Amino acid sequence: MKLKKLFIALLFILAVVALAACGDEEAGGNSGDSEGSDDGEVTLHVAALESAYGSEVWENIAENYEALNENVTIELTTAKNLEEVVRPEMQAGDYPDVFLLATGREEALTETLIKENGIENISDVLTMNVPGEDAAVEDKILEGFTDTLATNPYADGEMYLAPMFYSPTGLFYNEALLENHGWEVPNTWDELFAIGDEAAEEDISLFTYPLAGYFDTLVGSMLYASGGPDFYDSAMTYEDGIWESDEATTVFETIDKLADYTHPNTVANANPNDFTRNQQLILDNEALFMPNGSWVVGEMAEAPRADDFKWGMMPIPAFEDGGDRYAFTFFEQIWIPSEAKNIDAAKEFIAYMYSDEAADTFMEAGAIQPIEGIVDKLDGEQEIYYSIYEEGDVLPAMGTFASTEPVPGASITEELYEKIDSVMSGNITVEEWQQAVEEVSDQLRPAMN
Amino acid sequence: MKKSKGIRTETLYKIFIYVTLIALAITIIIPVAWVFLASIKENAEFYGNPWSLPEGIHLQNFVEAFRDAQMGEYLLNSVIVTTLSLFFLLVIALPAAYVLSRFTFMGSKFLNSFVKAGLFINVSYIAVPIFLMLLGWDSGLQELFGEGMFLNNRVILALIYASTALPFTIFLLSSYFVTLPSDFEEAASIDGAGHFRTMFSIMLPMAKPSIIIVILFNFLLFWNEYILALTLMPGENKTLPVGLLNLLAAERAAVNYGPMYAGMVIVMLPTLILYIIVQKRLTQGMTVGGVKG
Amino acid sequence: MNKNKSRNIFIIVCISPAIILFTLFMVAPTVEVFRMSLYRWGGFSNTREFVGLDNFKVLWNDTNFIQAFQNSIVLIVLVAIITLVFAIFFAAVLTKEKVKGDNFFRVIFYIPNILSIVVIAGIFSAVYDPSTGLLNSIFGVLSLESFQQMWLGNQDIVIYSVAGALVWQAVGYYMVMYMSSMASIPASFYEAAELEGAGKFKQFTSITLPLIWNNIRTTLTFYIISTINLSFLLVTAMTGGGPDGSTEVFLSYMYSQAYGNSTYGYGMAIGVIVFTFSFALAGIVSHITKRDVLEY
Repeated sequence: MKLKKLFIALLFILAVVALAACGDEEAGGNSGDSEGSDDGEVTLHVAALESAYGSEVWENIAENYEALNENVTIELTTAKNLEEVVRPEMQAGDYPDVFLLATGREEALTETLIKENGIENISDVLTMNVPGEDAAVEDKILEGFTDTLATNPYADGEMYLAPMFYSPTGLFYNEALLENHGWEVPNTWDELFAIGDEAAEEDISLFTYPLAGYFDTLVGSMLYASGGPDFYDSAMTYEDGIWESDEATTVFETIDKLADYTHPNTVANANPNDFTRNQQLILDNEALFMPNGSWVVGEMAEAPRADDFKWGMMPIPAFEDGGDRYAFTFFEQIWIPSEAKNIDAAKEFIAYMYSDEAADTFMEAGAIQPIEGIVDKLDGEQEIYYSIYEEGDVLPAMGTFASTEPVPGASITEELYEKIDSVMSGNITVEEWQQAVEEVSDQLRPAMN
Repeated sequence: MKKSKGIRTETLYKIFIYVTLIALAITIIIPVAWVFLASIKENAEFYGNPWSLPEGIHLQNFVEAFRDAQMGEYLLNSVIVTTLSLFFLLVIALPAAYVLSRFTFMGSKFLNSFVKAGLFINVSYIAVPIFLMLLGWDSGLQELFGEGMFLNNRVILALIYASTALPFTIFLLSSYFVTLPSDFEEAASIDGAGHFRTMFSIMLPMAKPSIIIVILFNFLLFWNEYILALTLMPGENKTLPVGLLNLLAAERAAVNYGPMYAGMVIVMLPTLILYIIVQKRLTQGMTVGGVKG
Repeated sequence: MNKNKSRNIFIIVCISPAIILFTLFMVAPTVEVFRMSLYRWGGFSNTREFVGLDNFKVLWNDTNFIQAFQNSIVLIVLVAIITLVFAIFFAAVLTKEKVKGDNFFRVIFYIPNILSIVVIAGIFSAVYDPSTGLLNSIFGVLSLESFQQMWLGNQDIVIYSVAGALVWQAVGYYMVMYMSSMASIPASFYEAAELEGAGKFKQFTSITLPLIWNNIRTTLTFYIISTINLSFLLVTAMTGGGPDGSTEVFLSYMYSQAYGNSTYGYGMAIGVIVFTFSFALAGIVSHITKRDVLEY
């Protein structure tokens, strides 16, 4: 039976080859019939990464949206390895209409499409009305979220990716441990290192980090604190010499100094298999601070911990007394591939993401939408993290590197973040690191699109 | 026989041998046992010392692995794909190895080195080209019949598995066939047996020990393979290793270790069982024919 | 004439399925790898740009690739030599010495080879853990604290830690291979040597080693091929190529470039290098180890 099928298949191939050779036009004619028309039924294919918030939340969203729009049917693909699931379909020309998939993932599918100009410009979503509500999308999204390189990757003022699920990041610590030792939450790096010296005497390390990749938010905040928003943007757009400027040098040297205060096990565990062991160091009072996001609380929920352990989060310290402190805001992105068949319906769907109804549904799963008034709805620990910006001198930091055309062998994240493992273990000097970053920045500058 | 001094070094040598043998055995038994023990631990137990014994038998891990990660379904797929691949492989490789090793004909030398060069082709880099090729065929079929059939097809995956294992298998079988004396064929020829009959009724039965090795090696290969399975089966019909990878990614993200190890045990168990069944034959086969340069 | 014809038909029927499948699913994709290495292509769009040998020129100056190349070579050399020594030693012991429970040892030693590489990665990540890992605990118990290491954290050591895991999984496999050819050496050879007063070591170097030499040569090729492949699978599962690329190998770098960096053509250029390199290395090794074959 199976062999017979195979034989038929081989015959088919021969037939295809023969037909292709004849240049038969008819064969290609009927392939484009699945386009959704404006007044008819639309099947919207939504592909969403199944992250810590689970996949059920997307089923609820789909249900609510279908109730709101009767002529829309949502076909949902959720997976933890979304890239692997949809990549083949996309290569076959079958693109989902909407993607919830952030940049910064190892598979870098989103980045690839940005680099290949494969993402639809969705600036006009901002002026659209939120379905079922009376407000425009741009009035609901929190300020600052739609003018970063994470949403406007080509730095041309046009939005290609819309912000989703935000989460403040900062340095996480055990509040009880600080209190018991009478240590104040440090406002500057000097204060932080002073605590580090005292802690060292009690065999507590000042610092640890889960993976070198977690430095993306830390370095981002430090660049903001060191040189301000314009400096940060210049760095993210590979301005010549920017990584050798004084502001950048301050950041590099501070991290180098941090190396002396880092828990000795950190680098050994900083791999995808073992990174939770580094997070465990905080729970066990073996290390004081680590860069992380509010998701760590859920991630380590079942882990054992020191007595009266209590999570605390603080912004990244300022470089001088009274200087600005920043807490990087991490968010995911939702976007439409240019090859999508139902672009208009997809834009409607994205607009719906900012409705109160959708935000409430997401919030039940722990995902927080960046819309006005959301912080007031939060309670408990989450409120503490999300209200971090309400302290006087704490500012939000956002953004990412500008997109470039693919440059073989050149990856800024690899040089800037992964090299930190080597800095921590003393394998390379801070100068070598700085130079490597500047070099790759030089390579990427001409490739910006 | 020997002088007393000789006996003393002899004893020392014996002790040395046993120490090394036992040391290696321990480094193998402990970690493998550890995986089994870890699979029945509760999640909270994973934060302490990883070498502590489980506090109880927590079979919930297996339930979770089977239910949430559909390991049962994947297990079935793996069984189907592996069996089919082994079948294809033997049907195709045995006659080819026999002819390539025992017949000289025009181009036989070239074909031998051609196939041997295939040993150096690594599945890791041809997976995507194979995928794109199948994709091309599929879109061809789609235009004609509205349905593709090459991707997400267990039979095709099995056929490709068999193809990628051909160089090694032919190499292994040829090196066995070469060692057989030619008397058998001559006798068969005098009896008036054709080439096909000679091969099926005389040569292939003699290759049985070698065939068992081929089956074991390739079973391990196919059973644990995931790069091709991941690339060529993007839809349903995932195989066990792909399922395991998904499970690992999922449980690691959720820091839920128990089901992770349960998944490992599910993947490991069939190979262990098969190995224990054929292990006697394995060394026999190796001894009779084996890989002889 | 007729007989010749039936022979030809037999040959064609027997080998053509194998040759067709081999060409279709192995040779053709490999040719495609070579072809794509001459293009600049991200992986999705239709804009493939022919760039000639540009990808290879970039490779030449890519320090990360050079590091991956070095790591791969270190692994191939180390794993081959250490595994070879251990495998031959244990094979000789189990075939020649009358060891109690030799069957048990033989069965146990082969087990690592049947484990999925994902399981091996899990095992070794627990063995190498800096605080609770088996290795550091043992050194702790023996009061050899100075031997305790950050097995996966110290960049000077981590590549050897990876090599250790690879050797662990390979020893049994090659041991069985060497055992098979050792077992076929006639016992009379050793008896004769014994009468001449040759010691165990002498017997080993003058009888065993020359007679299994061809078998060893064949396995050298296997070491090259399997180390390239397994190191990729293991590193991906265990260290992710870290810390900072110090365990990055050929194929893991290929994957990170072809997909992570959206430079598919460049990734394929690395594939070409891997293929050519392993082919050439095996050729060279086979050439320099060529000895007159001793038959028995």
